[in-house]
Amino acid sequence: MTPYLLRHVLKAVVTLWAIVTVTFVATRLSGNPIDTFLGEGLTAEGRQALIDYFQLDRSLWHQYLAYLRGVLSGEFGLSFVDRRPVTTVVAERLWPSGQLLLTSVALTVAVSLPLGVLAAVYRRSWIGSAVMVVAFTGYAVPSFVLAIVMVLTFSYWLNWLPVVGNGTWLHFIMPTIAMSGGLIAALTRFTRNAMLDVLGQDFIRTARAKGLRETQVVLKHGLGNASITVISVIGLQIAGLAAAGSVVVESIFSWPGVGQMLVNAAILRDYPVLQFGVIAVAVAVVSINILTDIAYALADPRIRLARA
Amino acid sequence: MFRLLLTTALVTLPLVAAAQEITVGAANVAPYIDPGRDHSNVGSQFYYNTFDTLIDRDHGKLELEWVPALATSWKLVEPKVMEFKLREGVKFHNGADMTADDVVFSLNRMMQATFPPYVVRAKDRLGNFLRAEKVDDLTIRVVAEREEPLWETLMSLQQVMIVPEAYIKGLTGKADVAEDSDYEAFALAPVGTGPYKVAAFQPGEKLVWERFDDFWGETAPLERATVVQIAETASRVTALKTGEADIITNVAPDQLSLIDSDPNLKTEGSATALFHVMIMNQNHPKLRDPRIRQALSLAIDRDALNEALWLGKAIVPSTHTMAEMGALHQPDLVTFEYDPERARKLLEEAGYDGFEITFDTAATYYTNGLLAAQAIMEMWGAVGINGRVNVQDQWSGNDPEMMVRNWSNPMYFADPFGSFGVMWAPGGPSESEGRFNTDADYAKKWDRFRFSTDVADRNAAYVELMEEIKQDPPMLPLYRPFESWGMKQSVNWAPMPGHIPYVLDFRAGSISFAGN
Repeated sequence: MTPYLLRHVLKAVVTLWAIVTVTFVATRLSGNPIDTFLGEGLTAEGRQALIDYFQLDRSLWHQYLAYLRGVLSGEFGLSFVDRRPVTTVVAERLWPSGQLLLTSVALTVAVSLPLGVLAAVYRRSWIGSAVMVVAFTGYAVPSFVLAIVMVLTFSYWLNWLPVVGNGTWLHFIMPTIAMSGGLIAALTRFTRNAMLDVLGQDFIRTARAKGLRETQVVLKHGLGNASITVISVIGLQIAGLAAAGSVVVESIFSWPGVGQMLVNAAILRDYPVLQFGVIAVAVAVVSINILTDIAYALADPRIRLARA
Repeated sequence: MFRLLLTTALVTLPLVAAAQEITVGAANVAPYIDPGRDHSNVGSQFYYNTFDTLIDRDHGKLELEWVPALATSWKLVEPKVMEFKLREGVKFHNGADMTADDVVFSLNRMMQATFPPYVVRAKDRLGNFLRAEKVDDLTIRVVAEREEPLWETLMSLQQVMIVPEAYIKGLTGKADVAEDSDYEAFALAPVGTGPYKVAAFQPGEKLVWERFDDFWGETAPLERATVVQIAETASRVTALKTGEADIITNVAPDQLSLIDSDPNLKTEGSATALFHVMIMNQNHPKLRDPRIRQALSLAIDRDALNEALWLGKAIVPSTHTMAEMGALHQPDLVTFEYDPERARKLLEEAGYDGFEITFDTAATYYTNGLLAAQAIMEMWGAVGINGRVNVQDQWSGNDPEMMVRNWSNPMYFADPFGSFGVMWAPGGPSESEGRFNTDADYAKKWDRFRFSTDVADRNAAYVELMEEIKQDPPMLPLYRPFESWGMKQSVNWAPMPGHIPYVLDFRAGSISFAGN
């Protein structure tokens, strides 16, 4: 178990370093904060004064090495825009994003597991087909389309649900659905396939032969074993969701989370915030992956006991 | 009878209470609140409710009418020295009394700026002021380098709003020294003397104003006003519909009917005191011949752009002038025209061989910016110019390869100096970016326009400057964009003609509610 874990942690460190580097270069190629948020009407001299103040005059190499040194000692710098430590800026936005992530995962699991099982068990009837049609449609509709359609329907026309922020539980409904839409589709499909795999195995036949009730066969022996595959998918999908979905959904619903912050920082070319934001998301994604691997190992004794 | 009174009271009470609180859904919330370092369109929304200047103006009027604010009177005691009598009993939001020291500190932090973000803002507009001095507890003087024709105008700028000295110095480091980090900290925890104090501020996201009970002037009409960022236009309009916002900012022209068609909602708007301009690089090797640039300008039918993109609500200027500039408004002067025939002739004379001319624009930065650029390509095409829109987010105004691009030229204060004067000064932003040239003759005219104490002479000098711009054009003002706010029917609020663009003014007399 230990070398298994070690290998994964090492992989994670290399991944993070690569992400730090790519983010660093990409943000600097995309434009200059002096031009984006300090606005119009700067003389060349004034521009230079600000460049000096923000230390943007150093060579890219120098800035990069200084940044890496900072990262290693836990110093991620100050936001160019509001001059607060970026760790503070990101920290105050983690919980709102985390909340949305939790509700989305909960909704996804609650909906897709039953649907997937249903689609597998009734794969030859219209129920199975209907579930899969819905799942494929969900997969094809991007979260921003789903979000805008919901906003128009439930807020603009019907005036049932609020659209701004995360003030009450009502505020969670549309963002959660928008975040979960594609995920539910994916997870339903995976659950169905995993179930089909498992239901064709010998031990299922054995279980049936023992005279177990069908529900017990499906849920205990079937879903129990299929969950190994499903867990890894949940892990990977959560990771993707944390990174991409939140950026779109949080912007539409003015959700005060990391995704919205990343969009603002990108517009203003607030390098330090953007970099640390991406690192924070990357750490979250990588940790979720590691946790998934561990969960996977725990769920499957063949992996747990294997000598790495 | 008593019961009736009671029920009426009970029914109306919550209404009144509710009406004293509003929520504004803004496209952008400022990342910091410091009037000294800021002159952005996003920032200008937030200063007037929070801070005061020594001199204010009647913002309900287009004409300049100065009114006392933190100074009760002012007079020139020497040709270059203005003395201000300070208002007694003014309190800052933190409870401290405003003193002459605070005023001197506030002015000198700009006039003798050392903090780079202040330096750059002070230089272009406050450059003529040497220092502020305390005379006694209720008197201060400001010393100018040269005789100043714009004393009141420049002493009512957002950049010289009054801030508390001791509070700022005590924020970080040594308590008796104003360090850069003090100013950085102040921008996140602003304290002023205005009718609303900033009760909560999450940079870029949310700002909450609460009525300041010790305000020296007329009590603020709102108990509390919350400004939240709702970046998405569709979400902003929806928030207004659902009642989550009472006012929303930055409603695009094509969204107006969406709001106006709802009987509970309305829009208010005005042609903002800001020009969207097209700038042309005088020093690009292919554009050195002024006739080419004249043609680029003459080929553009700005009225057609206004009709198509702004429903005819924008203002197309004949020269670089605005009605806000009072005695210096010159509506009869014609510097910019639409004349495709002349454009064709000039191109022929200049020997234009059909080389490609690029027009840089960001995808979304200016409302209708990309659409205008595309329409301009069609108009250029009609006179034989081979134009191409180049969409990029990066600012190219300082790039020698830049040929043509869009920009905006706001009115930082109600004087041609506050608009054309800042951007096109000798050694100013345009020249120092290398795309605009001035010579001694231009500098002399600019100096007369800036410093002459005779209004007629300033106007005459401005006419001469505009002639230079016409002969060797570095830019074309396209229009003053029409900016709109959406709100509930019950809210009486509209942008006032005496403000710089985008100010959210919730002071007494500026906002009220129907039916209460």
